[in-house]
Amino acid sequence: MLQLSPSEIKKNRTFIKVWTITFLVVFPLLIVLGLLMRMNQGEQINLGMDKFYVLMTLHGLGMAGLLFSTSFAALWYLLGTRHVKLNLGIGYFVYFMILIGVIGLTYSTLLGKFGAGWYLLYPLPFKNAIWPAWSTGLSIVSLIILGVAWLIGILHVLYTLAKEYGGLTNLLGWQYLGKKQVKRELPPVVMISAISLIPGVIAYLAGAVFLVMFLMQYFEPTLTFNMLLMKNLIFFFGHTLVNITLYCCLGWVYALLPEYTGRKWETNKILVYAWNATFFFIIFAYFHHLYMDFAQPLGLQYAGQLASYFSAVPATAVSMFGVITQVYHSKMKWSIVPLSFLIGVAGWAIGGFAAVIDATISVNTIFHNTMWVPGHFHTYMLGGVVLFIFGFFFYLSHTKEEQEKDIMGKAGFWLFVLAAHSFIATFYTGGVNSIPRRYADYKGIPIESTHLIGAFLARIAAICIIFVIIGFLIMTVSILIKLTRKKTAVMEHVQNS
Amino acid sequence: MFQIDSLLTIQSTAAIISFLGGVLVVLVVLFLMTTSHIEEDKTSVKHKVYKLRGRYFFVLVLCAVACLFITLRLLPYSKFQGEPEQTVSIVGIQWDWKMKSGAFDKSAEEFVKDTAAKKEITLPANKKIRFIVTSNDVNHDFAIYNTKGVLVAQTQAMPTYKNELEYEFSEAGDYHILCLEYCGLMHSIMIGTIHVN
Repeated sequence: MLQLSPSEIKKNRTFIKVWTITFLVVFPLLIVLGLLMRMNQGEQINLGMDKFYVLMTLHGLGMAGLLFSTSFAALWYLLGTRHVKLNLGIGYFVYFMILIGVIGLTYSTLLGKFGAGWYLLYPLPFKNAIWPAWSTGLSIVSLIILGVAWLIGILHVLYTLAKEYGGLTNLLGWQYLGKKQVKRELPPVVMISAISLIPGVIAYLAGAVFLVMFLMQYFEPTLTFNMLLMKNLIFFFGHTLVNITLYCCLGWVYALLPEYTGRKWETNKILVYAWNATFFFIIFAYFHHLYMDFAQPLGLQYAGQLASYFSAVPATAVSMFGVITQVYHSKMKWSIVPLSFLIGVAGWAIGGFAAVIDATISVNTIFHNTMWVPGHFHTYMLGGVVLFIFGFFFYLSHTKEEQEKDIMGKAGFWLFVLAAHSFIATFYTGGVNSIPRRYADYKGIPIESTHLIGAFLARIAAICIIFVIIGFLIMTVSILIKLTRKKTAVMEHVQNS
Repeated sequence: MFQIDSLLTIQSTAAIISFLGGVLVVLVVLFLMTTSHIEEDKTSVKHKVYKLRGRYFFVLVLCAVACLFITLRLLPYSKFQGEPEQTVSIVGIQWDWKMKSGAFDKSAEEFVKDTAAKKEITLPANKKIRFIVTSNDVNHDFAIYNTKGVLVAQTQAMPTYKNELEYEFSEAGDYHILCLEYCGLMHSIMIGTIHVN
């Protein structure tokens, strides 16, 4: 276990407090954007198409970026206070670069009216755009800044871990696969960090390639690039970013849940095989985003379905069964932290199951770009990642005793969970009814049932979002009360851990 | 040929399977929460859970292989299509569809200027139709909605590439074409119509 001085603990505590407060401020603002979008689709307000797509772009980019950044920051904190000394100067540098990127994106969307969607699907930003050219340029530069920031942070963590544990292969747990006795135990959180972050590096490099190509076209509009290549780069980057966000969270679930169950969660051969297989699936599953591109080579379409299907094996048979082994008959008290982790894992399971269904090519033919898609990713982001993050925040701010007795926090948590899953159900219902996604509203659809069902579901969703926000605010108040007092729980749990 | 008569059944089936999967997850969570007050030795728990995991692993892999075997034979791609009885060329442009009977005889850029290419077309029922789909500007998605408002088939309309989609209309009436790939401001009103007789 890492030895830290009180001043080092304090510095780490301040760093994660900055991230916690950033999340608690930005996340509800991004939810409000989602609320406005659903109200517009429900014909309760009239934003106009231009503003709707601006909000859609900011909501998508903002949520994907915020959830990854927070998951990564929490992972950084746990690694930095338990396993390796990470450079907080680099941590703050990454934080401020991210802030600059976020300010740029906010400016280019809200003031520059940039509305190409989170994925800027090539060549949309350059064709008949209604927003000024500078906002496209600013968005590209802002995304490059964000990508560089994340890359610096990830490379620092990977380098420090590799140095500490004797190389990358050791981080991947390969020493467990030989016959020799393992000299130094590898904590699961370290292995999961490596397996999440190495594909992250590859994805950010892919992102860098397409953003530089975007920048080239921005300065030289006569240039064009291969559409299919650009699509592959964009979806590889986007899919991997979202995927590793969840795996970063799982890192701390593996690290923290045993503190409540009293059962050690160790690295062994099965865990190494499972997570190394996950590494492979993270890289290849993204092909399922391109099923409707019939020009994509057939072998890659098969690879997409195979990788998507078999990614369920390590996820469920090892991680989810691992959680069951932890909590079953453990005589643990269901305080807010393990509760958040268990319900978050359930959200991951439900969302993952719906994702596997949609990753079947013949089913994707009727679900692709319908509301089914936001249904499944909201399940594992809102019903999974966000709950993991809240679990972490409660761990950070509350002592173990307070975690058990926090009635307000638990009330907010259950309200949030019920409202979130009701909200998500409107997406699935929409998908089953063939309601298209990314529509500002459904007024222009000549099919009456599609228009009416789409608008009705959006109105129900808007009501659910209001309860999601109330649940969020209750939990936020509970966290902030404890986090802002002088003697925080952080000091206590770092010393105890 | 990829042709499923009752796609509503697939959508409903997917919904039912997902719902049951969700219920199963909720039941497992409730079970774990309501039985966690009991204390049992970790080794004994491990033994029980690992035994269950072994069976689960076997069933999961079996199900995955079976599903792959069944579904990978129902692909919408040209390799799995038969000989078409009619061909239609389609170009998506911001924010309109241009459709014309017959295979492409000109570039997408010239095609959209062709006055014979329109957002409406009349096609016969019960005949295999091959749609050759492309775009003249950004990515679109050519999605066919049947007379009941059910999405029955789709393919991307991508600049410089031609995607071939095969579909057989099973009933007469108006089918609508919606764009399912975000393509800019008027994306939601990019509509075409296929009159099937």
